[in-house]
Amino acid sequence: MADLSLKDQIAANREAFEKTGSLFGLERLKRKETDPGTYEAVWHILSNLCNAAWATGCKVSSSPIAAEGGDALWGLHTPTGEAICISRGISAHAGLLSDMIKNFIDIGYEEYPGFKQGDIFENNDPHYGGIHSPDFDMCMPLFYEGELVAWASCVSHVADAGSVTPGSIGFMNPDCYSDGIAISMERVGEHDRFYPWYELRIRSRTRTPDFVMGDARGRLAGCITIRDRLHDVIEKYGLDFFKEASQEFVEDSRRYAVARVKTQTVPGRIRKSQFKDLAMKGKPVLLAKQDVDCMFNLPMELTINADASVDLSLAGASGTVPFGENISPTALKSGLMMGYSHIIGFDMFNSGPISAWNIEMPPDGSWANPYPVDYQAASGVAWAPAVTWVSSLYEVFGRLFQMRGFIEEMAAGSGTIMTAEFSGINQTGMYLTGLTLEQASQGSPARGFADGENSAWCIYTPEADFGNAEISELYYPILFLGRNVAPDSGGFGQFRGGLGHTAVWMVYNTPGLEYQCGDAGMRSKIVGNHGMYGAYPAVPDRPGYGHDTNVKELIDAQKPLIHERGGPENPAVAMAIEARDVQDNMVAPFVTPEPLQDYDIIVHPIAGAEAMGDPIARDPASVVKDLNEGWTTERVASEIYGVVAGKANGSYVADGAKTEKQRQAIRKERLEGAISFKDWWEQEREKVQARENMDPAVIRMWAGSMSLAPKYAEELRRFWNLPDDFTFGS
Amino acid sequence: MAEFHKADIEKLIDGVLPWPATQDMLKSAKDTNRFDKYVEIMQERVSFDEPILLPLTPMLFIVAKGGERVVQCRCGHDFGDYRVNWKLSALIRVRDDEESISEVYKGREMPDPSWIQIREYICGGCGAQLEVEAVPRGCPPDFDFLPDLDTFYREWLGRPLPDEAECVDRTLERIGEWSR
Repeated sequence: MADLSLKDQIAANREAFEKTGSLFGLERLKRKETDPGTYEAVWHILSNLCNAAWATGCKVSSSPIAAEGGDALWGLHTPTGEAICISRGISAHAGLLSDMIKNFIDIGYEEYPGFKQGDIFENNDPHYGGIHSPDFDMCMPLFYEGELVAWASCVSHVADAGSVTPGSIGFMNPDCYSDGIAISMERVGEHDRFYPWYELRIRSRTRTPDFVMGDARGRLAGCITIRDRLHDVIEKYGLDFFKEASQEFVEDSRRYAVARVKTQTVPGRIRKSQFKDLAMKGKPVLLAKQDVDCMFNLPMELTINADASVDLSLAGASGTVPFGENISPTALKSGLMMGYSHIIGFDMFNSGPISAWNIEMPPDGSWANPYPVDYQAASGVAWAPAVTWVSSLYEVFGRLFQMRGFIEEMAAGSGTIMTAEFSGINQTGMYLTGLTLEQASQGSPARGFADGENSAWCIYTPEADFGNAEISELYYPILFLGRNVAPDSGGFGQFRGGLGHTAVWMVYNTPGLEYQCGDAGMRSKIVGNHGMYGAYPAVPDRPGYGHDTNVKELIDAQKPLIHERGGPENPAVAMAIEARDVQDNMVAPFVTPEPLQDYDIIVHPIAGAEAMGDPIARDPASVVKDLNEGWTTERVASEIYGVVAGKANGSYVADGAKTEKQRQAIRKERLEGAISFKDWWEQEREKVQARENMDPAVIRMWAGSMSLAPKYAEELRRFWNLPDDFTFGS
Repeated sequence: MAEFHKADIEKLIDGVLPWPATQDMLKSAKDTNRFDKYVEIMQERVSFDEPILLPLTPMLFIVAKGGERVVQCRCGHDFGDYRVNWKLSALIRVRDDEESISEVYKGREMPDPSWIQIREYICGGCGAQLEVEAVPRGCPPDFDFLPDLDTFYREWLGRPLPDEAECVDRTLERIGEWSR
């Protein structure tokens, strides 16, 4: 193989996989069989080598996102691009980095400009497989005695990539030309140094060039760390061992994932619908075409075959949107690989598990495959629909694990992901824009045996961490007045989702600050996800703020301030303070229409996750515990959970007899209030046909889904018994 | 290979297994006979005698009944052929206006009913809430899972079921009957 070009090696690998069903044609794992101890030791050495790169690179980068949040990733790859292992960090990118290396090879860079030690290659361009411009993907070829033996890779999320609005969550971007600085499959340096013109471009085309260049140097430092330490590994264990074992690690991981599917799931067809809103009509936007509300259709159909391979379809995905929320199929696959690594392929996280997937190309012109129809589609925050879609994967496998009795592995899905970004002059007089880390620590999904954990999970990274409040205060002109668990934010079920939290910020020490309440998978018009097994879904994201407030007077008078979200009918921002402009129920996403000033207040909610099971099957003791913690309310306890509790000695205590009576009453009310599905179907199909009480965004979504996928359209028509030529129009 | 006691699995199902023991289950190699133990536990907990072929959800089971394979609730309520989405045989309550949605969600936590409706699928036998979907009008109910039961038993468990049946989605056939 060594005498083949890398491009030919990729073709040979593909052929060997098709022929043998094993990656690289490895029908036996010889190194593992003959020397399992060394095999296992080297795996951990390589894994730690990537983690050392993460620790080094994040500290070198110095940006709050990397240094405080660890929002970066390093990887080690085979010469043909397969990830052998990756660091801790934002694991959603492992597939992207692999595909980027393969892409560099595929488009002929091996021949020109060639690969040599010290070369630095980058891409952030979605048209060539990138996810969105703030995620800078880097790779470096690694040579040993003149032979390219591996690649080091990295991604880091920069504070600002020069898109049309400040920051890194470019939901407002109307087209790809507004997505910011493009690094389009470029060699950006040689001899371990960036080209001077690379830095000049960063300096003129991003709003926080010091941080962006800091991130670049962090990426480079991490990749060099991998290279140096890999050299030592090869010196110690030999090149042949490294080359053979690294391929075996990938194939081993594939076998592990396939075996898990076969021993812990059930063959068959799984369908899970998923939707996401993006309500922008009437809000300040950039172009006239953006004065529109959008709804995404994010369907998942997954088939587990007899050989434990997995087919995946997105048929029914709705059309592109005139905002930065379209994603390339390559990037979507990477998100899927990340989700799969959480659920199935986590023993050795690399490119192996997903090789057993057959992913049908999403419909041309859909949000998941925009370019064949809409080449100008924007991807400023392409993760937004993608992570919402990937959420279904958690629930789908949770259901499968239940069927085989592996209750301990069950999980529901996620809730919503809403971000907060600031831009303005901070307390040191420095212009700053960037993402806070609040959304990186959400409630975790309900489990088959317990509630989810509060503020301890994030779908796009296992590095769930909202960072220290004091560090955020160091960078941004804000002070935390509150960061507390939000009651009833994890749905209502036998096991509820982990609860989210609320950040309450006071703007301080700035001539003016813009608050961008952003969309990285938020849902604001609709609830967060379904409810699994009869639970109620988590609540929508509804942030608030107060502009031109009396907070300074309250502080001077030493009166109570605002510290939390407040109840759904008595929002704290409207009750605890006075302000010229009070917004207590904003539909996200949005950008504040005028700069916020000192003593203005922001109430930013972070979601809980999906719940599981009939709420009236919840253990009354768990409801009482939540009451005593302030994590639920008497109304929810009584009306949703059917638990009647009173206070004794300052604490809630359940009344067993009244609780049983209340639950019987709820069952009776359900049976009396519900109708047969057939009766409902007969009424509902008339309403569907008449488009009754359907928002134009919903009608446009169905029209798009049906026009892009005729088979999906036919099934939808047949289900509602609609005429053969029925469409929702546009 | 790990071997977990049936009593511990029951505790796990009930959410009362101590966390260290739960972690042990998470981290250890899985027991190969878990499916059989789980089915045995669930069989003891349901109020019917028909043998469970697959626990579809914690409340719904595909069972062998008179030569057919049907979906039954824990209470024994029969939802019919497992190849037809069981939701078509359930009771349903749909919250698609502010008044009905406000019985669950209040104030700023209310979703917009012109964007989404909350569908509650109720067992006609015991009143259990079996699934809740949040979907826009026009969305057919999710057919959450159509298992390939014969492949599962024959090729994955190594003990074929008698009377193999064709694994096809028959939901639209039922709709066709309603439409005539």
